[in-house]
Amino acid sequence: MATDTDKNGGVGSTVRRFLLENGALTALAILVVVMSLLSDDFLTAQNLLNVGVQAAVIAVLAFGVTFVIIAGGIDLSVGSVAALSATVLAFLATVEGVPVWLALPLAAATGTACGLVNGVLIAYGKLPPFIATLAMLSIGRGLSLVLSEGSPIALPDSVARLGTSLGGWLPVPVLIMLVMGLITAVILRRTFAGRAMYAIGGNEEAARLSGIRVKRHKLGIYALSGLFAAVAGVILASRLASAQPQAAQGYELDAIAAVVIGGASLAGGVGTAFGTLVGALILAVLRNGLNLLSVSAFWQQVVIGVVIALAVLFDTLRRRSGGAGAGAGSAGRRGRRGLQLGIAAAVTAVVVGALSFLVPNSSSDGPRVGLSLSTLNNPFFLQMRDGAQAEADEAGVNLIVTDAQDDASQQADQIQNFISTGVDAMVINPVDSDAAGPPVRGANNADIPVVAADRGVTEADVETLVASDNVEGGRLAARALAEELGEEGRIAVLQGVPGTSASRERGSGFEEGIAEYPDIEVVAQQPADFDRSKGLDVMTNMLQGNGDIDGVFAENDEMALGAAAALSSRGEEAVVIGFDGTPEGLEAVADGVLHASIAQQPAELGRVAVRNAVAAANGEGLEETVMVPVEVVTEGNVADFD
Amino acid sequence: MSSPDALLRIEGVRKAFPGVVALDDVDFDLRRGEVHALLGENGAGKSTLIKVLSGAHRPDRGRLLMESAEVDIRDAQDAERLGIATIYQEFNLVPDITVAENIFLGRQPRRFGFIDHRRMESEAAALLDRVGVDVSPRAKVRGLGIARLQMVEIAKALSLDARVLIMDEPTAVLTTGEVERLFAIARRLRDEGVGIVFITHHLEEIAALADRVTVLRDGRSVAHVDASTPEDELVRLMVGRSIEEQYPRERSDVGGPLLRVHGLTRAGHFEDVTLEVHAGEVVGLAGLVGAGRTEVARSVFGADPYDAGTVEVLDRPLPGGDVNAAMNAGLGLVPEDRKGQGLVLDASVEENLGLVTLGPTSRAGFVDLPGQRASAARIAADLGVRMSSIAQHVRTLSGGNQQKVVIGKWLSADSRVLILDEPTRGVDAGAKVEIYRLVNELTASGHAVLMISSDLPEVLGMSDRILVMAQGRVTGELSAEDATQDAVMSLAVAVGPRSTTEENGVEGHHGH
Repeated sequence: MATDTDKNGGVGSTVRRFLLENGALTALAILVVVMSLLSDDFLTAQNLLNVGVQAAVIAVLAFGVTFVIIAGGIDLSVGSVAALSATVLAFLATVEGVPVWLALPLAAATGTACGLVNGVLIAYGKLPPFIATLAMLSIGRGLSLVLSEGSPIALPDSVARLGTSLGGWLPVPVLIMLVMGLITAVILRRTFAGRAMYAIGGNEEAARLSGIRVKRHKLGIYALSGLFAAVAGVILASRLASAQPQAAQGYELDAIAAVVIGGASLAGGVGTAFGTLVGALILAVLRNGLNLLSVSAFWQQVVIGVVIALAVLFDTLRRRSGGAGAGAGSAGRRGRRGLQLGIAAAVTAVVVGALSFLVPNSSSDGPRVGLSLSTLNNPFFLQMRDGAQAEADEAGVNLIVTDAQDDASQQADQIQNFISTGVDAMVINPVDSDAAGPPVRGANNADIPVVAADRGVTEADVETLVASDNVEGGRLAARALAEELGEEGRIAVLQGVPGTSASRERGSGFEEGIAEYPDIEVVAQQPADFDRSKGLDVMTNMLQGNGDIDGVFAENDEMALGAAAALSSRGEEAVVIGFDGTPEGLEAVADGVLHASIAQQPAELGRVAVRNAVAAANGEGLEETVMVPVEVVTEGNVADFD
Repeated sequence: MSSPDALLRIEGVRKAFPGVVALDDVDFDLRRGEVHALLGENGAGKSTLIKVLSGAHRPDRGRLLMESAEVDIRDAQDAERLGIATIYQEFNLVPDITVAENIFLGRQPRRFGFIDHRRMESEAAALLDRVGVDVSPRAKVRGLGIARLQMVEIAKALSLDARVLIMDEPTAVLTTGEVERLFAIARRLRDEGVGIVFITHHLEEIAALADRVTVLRDGRSVAHVDASTPEDELVRLMVGRSIEEQYPRERSDVGGPLLRVHGLTRAGHFEDVTLEVHAGEVVGLAGLVGAGRTEVARSVFGADPYDAGTVEVLDRPLPGGDVNAAMNAGLGLVPEDRKGQGLVLDASVEENLGLVTLGPTSRAGFVDLPGQRASAARIAADLGVRMSSIAQHVRTLSGGNQQKVVIGKWLSADSRVLILDEPTRGVDAGAKVEIYRLVNELTASGHAVLMISSDLPEVLGMSDRILVMAQGRVTGELSAEDATQDAVMSLAVAVGPRSTTEENGVEGHHGH
């Protein structure tokens, strides 16, 4: 809110006061200084633009959420609405052939409509904003999966250009972020609607009794948030050249964090566009910096959480020690300044100390290879990482591992950061093949060789693809299941995360394979997201809904183990086949809990990928694909597998 | 002069808040087995005094003695340990749990770590029996009538072995029959040796119940007298000055009717309310708390809907439940709950003064910031709002200055008819007079004012006409010349058709 500027002091003290009165800005400044000291690659024009691009989506989402939070509400649906709007755009433009100039406004209208529904539920249905937008979170995600049938849809080139740079250096997402920020600031400061948001958030009843039409304003506020989410969705999709139905999951929480770090109060009535921008930049600088510093993917999350808490704590203490705008005496001001400097120093010490502790001391002079994994929340990829690490250690390679947390956009950021740090080669295990295209093209432009692992990369040059044959694995699973069942029976399929290539390929291979056995009926087919506990729940529901089931194919071992648990808890028996051959999966096969698992060799995958990346860095020619064999593991041969 | 019966004693207590000295050199003492009435005008310091005793406020100066030993009451727990229980006007009960749980909240009897429901309920039943109220310990508190809630509060106080029981205007919300029952309980507790501090505005209740009286005026304890002191004398002690000095009403020429309300009814709140307010006139709306005055004001202004009747401003009918229509027609409401409904506390004086004109003055959706600033600065200066700058947050202003901002918000919108709901509640004496002067200026310039007030001298001193409401109905109208405290009070307790109260022995309540 408005703070009166002081009259005394020169430029230096003005800058200092400005920093002190914007707690988040101080935190950002500290972070930038720390990162520049720790990494030579941080403070370059290119990397700072990267930070801008990486902040853009969260920032635009957060601008929308700023309106809502200032008015005393909350919007949890923005991530889903962003994904839905992007999916609508891609669906209309690519599948239906609607011209882009029409599809773009329709995508914006989709976001706005979702926001309006939120607004109606909250203002007229009297639902708490948390609940209404939580419902929309689920509805939006569901609709985008329905519309896209679970698969990413490519975007027309004219839209994908929004994800690139103007004049070769100014990234369009950064430009859009700044424009949206400016619009947000003007709305908040200069328009009736904006001032009404502060009044409603500050005291809704007083606003109503002063003639502000609170309900109508709430409609507008949530619609605005939906519109901003749509813009964010379009930026996100254009960067990846494809609309991902699973995109932007969990981004609502980042957006809310950005708004709160920026000094807004969840109680309403306080907040600025500038603060929110700073909040989004703090998150982006952290992620970027931690990537550059090769901090372990697991510790990154811890550090991010700690910094969020510190940034807000800093701001809260600053407020409590002073209170903005209340014209206090100068003596009090000096004491406050001392306290603030003390806190700032403490924060810096904590951040620097933690980082220097966490940053690996890279000693070897060998080539540097980046490994971007789709997730580390799954034993398969952990084994892949371990294999890659073992190979790297043997070959004297400096391996930098990042975790994209199943988010294509985060992966794009991480690839960008690899390029900034100038790795000699990188191994990419794409979250999604289509979405990995644009960032890998960036690596192509920078002449950094890329090896794809496990999944391919579309529309970009990779030196080689190191993969298990998922489709073949699906076929093998179908055959093994059919043989064990005597070529007849009722079976169920547990699918992976809808839209992922692993799920698609394994599923299609299995479908193809099982079609050869006419007496086998697939009675149920449901996604359980590659997750054991979801596998347990979904299987339980399937048994409830379909009666006896003779066989189960799960698209990974985790879900297979969940399904086995569901069966045994109901005292039922069925032939369960998993996929991946994880250690736990193999143990279950040895114990007879699972009938079989289609064993990939993730460690071998990682090992071969790194070996090929090193070869590529040395300029050696490679084969187009390197297939790592898959095998059916049953009780009979499980001893051969480690 | 410490007698063997001395229970609680305070000496020279002072308590100041920013801008107001609430208590200054206050002495007070309570004996075992007595009912001691605290008497004083609104703002005289009674609430602050009981908050000092219950640990809600800490005095800046002075001593507190419990049975001749000096004590320090830092918080509610300290008060509880000393056996001091307070029953506020707003009850501290949790609506959705049982009576027994409320009585023992936080101190539920336990067995093996689990709550011993059987013991809790039997002990609660014994306590409820002692106060003589017929409520099941297992009943949910929500749904109990106000009198029973009060009895539950008293039972809770007894469960704490209270030796000092403080009751803040316990009779304000009770019917005559309920008051009699409360008094019976109070007498019984007194006979058991409990010391009772009793706050009331009704002088005849003092004669009926109290043993001694301490009179507070402007934060000072001005007299300690026997309860048999004549009422005239008590009033003189309380007011301490003539009504004319306090209420500088200057009558203006009365013009045509600006606000006309006819047959307004909202089921369950008020019925068949008809009133008129003319240009240049202050109409007072008097009555007891809960008589439905605030509800009428809110419905007239469109903040709440109504079921039947009409509201006309300047001869044009207003649609119901539409704040904007009321505003555009020239109505303004200064609500009773200043902080909760009148102000955005963490916004600046400028923003609060501009709240009403924000929309109407914006062009193409953009706020006229320079215009807003200029008009806010002008109005703040006109009203003499004491602030460091127009950017000061309203939260940090004193009550009187906050109230000026709420009124100023409507002046900037040029409202012709202002409804002031308890305009001087929580406002110190100096600022009160400034607000009265403002009312004079408004009526002199042809505005009309409808003033709701529970402060009888204020209603009598400032109104040109007085309407009295009781139980949702207008029970009478008095001209300024005919109005006396007795006349107003007898209308305020007039029995409506829905009431079942017996009216034995009530010969007109007196305020203050």
